[in-house]
Parts: sequence; structure tokens; C-alpha cells
Amino acid sequence: MTEITRDMLMAYADGQLEADQRLLVEAHLAANPEAAAEVALLQRQSDAIRTLFAPAGAEPVPTRLRPTRIAADLRRQQRRQWGWAAAAVMLLSLGLGIGFAARPLFDPPASATLIADAVNAHTVYVAESRHAVEVGSADSEHLSTWLSNRLDTHLGMPDLAGEGFALVGGRLLPGEPDKGGRAAQLMYEDADKQRITVYVTAALPDARPAYQLANYQGAEAFYWANARITCTVVGTLAPERMQAVSRAVYTQLSEGDVTAAPPYRG
Amino acid sequence: MDSFLDQVEACVPALRRYARALTRNLDLADDLVQDCLERAISRRGLFRPSGPVRAWLFTILLNLHRNGLRAARHQASTVDLDSIAEPATPAPQPGHLALAEMARAIDALPLEQKEALLLVALEGLPYAEAAAILKIPQGTLMSRLGRARAALRLATGTPAEPHLRTVK
Repeated sequence: MTEITRDMLMAYADGQLEADQRLLVEAHLAANPEAAAEVALLQRQSDAIRTLFAPAGAEPVPTRLRPTRIAADLRRQQRRQWGWAAAAVMLLSLGLGIGFAARPLFDPPASATLIADAVNAHTVYVAESRHAVEVGSADSEHLSTWLSNRLDTHLGMPDLAGEGFALVGGRLLPGEPDKGGRAAQLMYEDADKQRITVYVTAALPDARPAYQLANYQGAEAFYWANARITCTVVGTLAPERMQAVSRAVYTQLSEGDVTAAPPYRG
Repeated sequence: MDSFLDQVEACVPALRRYARALTRNLDLADDLVQDCLERAISRRGLFRPSGPVRAWLFTILLNLHRNGLRAARHQASTVDLDSIAEPATPAPQPGHLALAEMARAIDALPLEQKEALLLVALEGLPYAEAAAILKIPQGTLMSRLGRARAALRLATGTPAEPHLRTVK
């Protein structure tokens, strides 16, 4: 005969048994009053639970719990959400379009960045007396070779003796990553210890010629660019001297290989 | 026209009843059911398992209820005493289970036992379906039921269970 476990009694009380097992349990209960009492107790528990809570299932269902109503609400909500999403996408693409079209208006021109960098470097290093340059003018041949290699273009040292300026020396500077990443600064000094600097980078990607005069943070800057380099002459001289110096630097550097050519004389 | 919605609709009274027994609060229970229906209806076809709609709905309801409890763990729990039905005929006879006492005893059960007991005793679900809803093996379900029943027996002051003999 099958062993009647407590689980079987419980399953019987819960009405979970198949007919054959049910018969077995009933036979067992008939012979065992204690087991019958146990089953009766379980059934009374279930009865009590149903008495307590079953009435909630018979109450009229409120409208908000009607699936058709919920489905309709969800559809409406979804339509609204799609509407919002569509509007958002349209606004976003509109914004992107305008932003892209207006890009040149907001992107500072390369010359502005280079002039700012040149003036900053000028301001920092003209104030130095002992460490104004990395390589002094005594070693000007090395200076020229070194900077030429770093900038990847030939860079001669303009001769500004005609304007009363002598080369102090030069140094290598970090530059804008998208504009070659490096810059050379040459420093000149006159008898009164007035200094000017020449800030040179390799040519911009567009390699277009350009010219610009600017007054930036109290310094005068003359900028130009050609297919080989960009150059910014920075100083705080009187306008006429500034012009003369700039013209001399421009002429010598844009003539190409200044070291091969005879030195320019005013 | 929409057989899925019809199937869901047929389950609403049971879901309300079960939620009411779990939460002991009419508004909380109906909120829970509404939440459950919204999720089920908005996700049909996406996540619905191939099985019966009823089991799926109960699973969603239970998960929402557990999440809600987790969120409210640190808040004081309120029991709406009005939601406890008074016995229709309070006849204090031996073995009679006072209903209010029973309600309190059920409230005091650990959640996993209460969930299981109500699925079987209140909803009358087959063990297999209740186990599937709770995502537990049937043996685990039965042991939870057994422990729940024993706890109720103790709490409602019924004399200790009779010793069971095994019949060969």
C-alpha cells in the first residue's frame, strides 16, 4: 500500500489529487481519525481564507481596471509619445543642420588662434632675461636646423639688423594639435632692449595665403600664412617700426630659402 | 474581437481578490492590479510567454508587489482593519477559526509563504501552476504551504497537530 505522507494529506485537502490517489487517501482517513482531523483542519483554514478574501473577487470591477480601457489609454499615450519623439527628432535635426551650416561662424579662424598663441608666447618669454630663449644666437646655424626639422619645413633666421634688431635666439613651443602641434619662436632685441618675437608654424591644412593685422592684449601682431608656413610677428613697438620689422620678416621668410639667398638688407 | 484582452479581463476579479489579500488595502490592491494590467497590455507580444495568460499576470502582479514592498521597506506598514471581513455567523465552537485571528495570522506569515498559500487556498490554483507563477519547484511550493499551514495552526490556537502514523 502506498505510504500516505503529510504532503498527500495536504494535497488532498487542497483538492489537488488525481482520482486514484484521492481514493487511497480517503481509505486512509476512514481508518485514521487523527489524519481525518488534520485534513479537516486544513480545509477549515482554506475555508476561512476564502471567507475572508473571496468577496473581493465578486465586487464590480472599477473602470480603471478594464483591459479595453487600459489598452485604449496606452494607445493614446503611445501616439502622444510618438508625436513627442517625432517632434524631438525634427528639432534635433533642425538644430544639427543649423549648427553645421553655421559652423564657420562659430569656429574661430585659425589665424585668431595662432595670433593668440603667438602673443601669449611673446608675453611670457620677452619678460625673461636669462632664459628668454632655448638656443642662443651664437648657435644660430644649429637653431635653424633644429627648428626646421621640428617644423618639418625650412626655417631661416631673418636678419633684422637693418631695423636695429639682433637675434637673441629661439625656442620650440607646443602648438595647436590641429595646426601642426609645434611652433618656433624667434626673439630679437634692439639696443634699447626692446624685444619682438616671430612665431612660426608649419602651413595650415588649407595652405592658403592670408594676412592679418591685430592688436591683441596690448601687443601688435602681424600675421600671414602661405603654402609653407604661418608667421606672426609680435611686438609692442611704435606702429611705424612694427610695420618696418614685419615687412622685413615677411619679405625674408616668404622669399623661401633665406639662408641660401643673400641676407636681406632694409 | 481581441481575445488577449478578453483573457485578461477574465482574470481581473481574481487578480483583485489576490492583491487585496496580499496588501489588505483596497486602494493599494487596485493600484497594483492596474499597474499589472498596464504592463501586461503594453508588453503583450514582446515578453508574453506562450503559457496561459493567468499565470503570466499573477507573476507580474507578484513582482510588482515585491518591488513595492522593497521600495517601502523603511516606511511604517499600515494595515487597514476595515478590510478584514467580520465573520457572518460568529459561532464560537471548538475548532472554529476566528476569522480576524486568521487574518492577522496570514499577515504575519513570511511573504513567500503568504504568496504561495493564497495562490492555492484562495485562488484554488493547481500546485503546478502556482509553482510556475512563483518560479519555484513544486516541492518547494509544497514545503512553503506546509510551513504556512503550521504557522496558521499555531497562531490561531488550534491544538497541536495530531501525530501522524504511516500506514503500510
